[in-house]
Amino acid sequence: MPDRIMLIGSPNCGKTLLFNRLTGLRHKVANFPGITVELASGPMSGLSGTTLVDYPGSYSLQPLSRDESVAVDEFKRGLRDPEVSHVICVVDVTRMEKSLYLTLQVIRLARRSGKRVIVAANMIDVLDAHGIELDFEGLSRELDAPVIPISARTGIGIERLLAQLREAPPADGSAVDSVGDIEISADLLVQQAAHGLARRYGPRSDVLVRSQHRLDAFFLHTWFGGLAFFAIMYLLFQSIFTGAAPAMGAVESGIAALADWVVPHLPAGVAADFTSDALFSGVGAFLVFVPQIFVLTLVVGLLEDSGYMARAALICHRPLRVFGLTGKSFIPMLSGVACAIPGVYAARAIDSPRKRRLTYMAIPLMPCSARLPVYALLIAAFIPATTAMSGLVGLQGLAMFLVYFLGLMLGLIVAGLAARRDRDPAPDVPFVLEMPPYRMPALVPLLRQSLHRCRHFVAKAGGVILGVTVVVWVLGYFPNGGADLQSSWLAAIGRTIEPIFTPLGLDWRYGVAILTSFLAREVFVGTLGTIFGIEFAEENMVPLVERIHASGLEAASGFALLAFFSMALMCVSTLVILARESGSWKLPLKMFFAYGAAGYLGAIAIYQLLSLDIF
Amino acid sequence: MDMQVPAGGADVKPEIALWHLGKNCRAVIIGFDGAMPLEYSSRLSEMGFHIGESVTCLLRPGFGCPRVYRVSNTVYSLDEDLAAHIRVAADA
Repeated sequence: MPDRIMLIGSPNCGKTLLFNRLTGLRHKVANFPGITVELASGPMSGLSGTTLVDYPGSYSLQPLSRDESVAVDEFKRGLRDPEVSHVICVVDVTRMEKSLYLTLQVIRLARRSGKRVIVAANMIDVLDAHGIELDFEGLSRELDAPVIPISARTGIGIERLLAQLREAPPADGSAVDSVGDIEISADLLVQQAAHGLARRYGPRSDVLVRSQHRLDAFFLHTWFGGLAFFAIMYLLFQSIFTGAAPAMGAVESGIAALADWVVPHLPAGVAADFTSDALFSGVGAFLVFVPQIFVLTLVVGLLEDSGYMARAALICHRPLRVFGLTGKSFIPMLSGVACAIPGVYAARAIDSPRKRRLTYMAIPLMPCSARLPVYALLIAAFIPATTAMSGLVGLQGLAMFLVYFLGLMLGLIVAGLAARRDRDPAPDVPFVLEMPPYRMPALVPLLRQSLHRCRHFVAKAGGVILGVTVVVWVLGYFPNGGADLQSSWLAAIGRTIEPIFTPLGLDWRYGVAILTSFLAREVFVGTLGTIFGIEFAEENMVPLVERIHASGLEAASGFALLAFFSMALMCVSTLVILARESGSWKLPLKMFFAYGAAGYLGAIAIYQLLSLDIF
Repeated sequence: MDMQVPAGGADVKPEIALWHLGKNCRAVIIGFDGAMPLEYSSRLSEMGFHIGESVTCLLRPGFGCPRVYRVSNTVYSLDEDLAAHIRVAADA
């Protein structure tokens, strides 16, 4: 029984989907190349005691970039591992030539290392849907390796693959320089062999490309393609408000009902006040926004799974070049809308180190899900919940779209300015991108992925928010037992830092909330909830928006806050990942201070401008 | 200048850059010009853009966007910086 099995394949061949199916794990999958950027491993559910290791997709074992070198070196190191006895090489049967080139290289290298190769011929369901049959036995004879037709998506052939792994003994380790009857001695010969095999055993029908081409003719049309792109992006951001609104209302009502039921059962005093002010007002205010994060993740996932993302990258390539970026920057930037960290990881798919660095600079300015609760709160406080154009356009959704657009533009401008300062004379890496086939998104895995993202968000931010909320509540409640917030320890601290925020029209309460948000942006909402919970303790649970109105916050200050949160880099995790990916702390520290200063000065400018009499 | 040679070809095989291949036209890759670094031509070959392979231009979106090409059963988009250095001739 093998102990470790290696899983390798070309980009976007369905390798990670197979990994998830064989391990029961839920690693991120999407329908465009370059999703897997790190080694992942997990125990195989069908083979006890066996670990499956997923390698990043590669077109060949001759690396082009530093990241590819790392992946290929890891693969070669794995082949020397005595615990590894099998390699599963995943082949996309709909695009056989591209996959077979890597397969032939893998078979040759694996046999030299004494590892047995099993070829998983993936996406058989696509061929079945078009009534295309292939001679897998013939291909198996030519490769001198088992070829198992499977569908990682539907589960077809997975049992057969597992049976093959259980039964097939490890290779004998003798040096082999041939693959079946195909002698391989040079790259050119490998290419010719892959070409010949694909001709003989690959699908001959044009039907697979024809259906893709019909959709591309629309989505990549000079005019319709651009309009469709803007419409899709607009619907994405509009859905954050309209799609999530019922669930947000339900969460808000649920929290209020729970508070109304729980608090009267507690003894009056510190315990009841803490539960009401810190838990229900503080943490509860943050939980209200979780449905929006769910909708955002789901819609981005739908776009990724459908194959549209690669088309969007193509459409954006030319405009992004103006700012020194590439079309491939679009995918990390849009991933950054959900969370900057996967966006930074996704930037590894950018071949050009220069453009990757510029993309790093743009990603933290994307309006991430941690900013979402802050934006949603401020928009709900200052933009009326009305519609225009016969109900087609919700004003709050439109405002959200504009805020997101502003974040995107900021990212582009920063990248453009940095690109103009770049003095590197070396030629840059050109743009080439595989266009994946369009697919109907798999809704159940996407729903699971969105729920997982929400759970992760609540778990990650919830602990910080709870901790900060407790500290803020203790400081705000004592020494007078919550009788007067203005004479609390928190007010004393807040008034010390208040002069920093006065130019933005903010009092000490908002200053404290901003200060705590440097731990995580979303803490801003929880801190405000706690502060107002103490201040309005005599009232029943009311939405935070109403308490902001009651606090007397001017609209000019609200927009200044929006500007500040749009620009400032206030996420410790993002800074750490940026340092790791860029190889030093220099870039993230520069970004932290520059974006913080720009956010603060920008917020002052907006407040002062909007406070002029002309408005 | 774009080469408008329909699939099925002609006797004369003018050599042009892939970037200038007309929409829905097919050609055969005959090489890479000297301006293309070796590592890029190698990677393109691995992806299927190797000498002797048939390539079809599927789409030419406007505004200088990358163009869409098909080799074998795979579709790629290439920008001008790359496609201008791939030499093709009409597919006979």
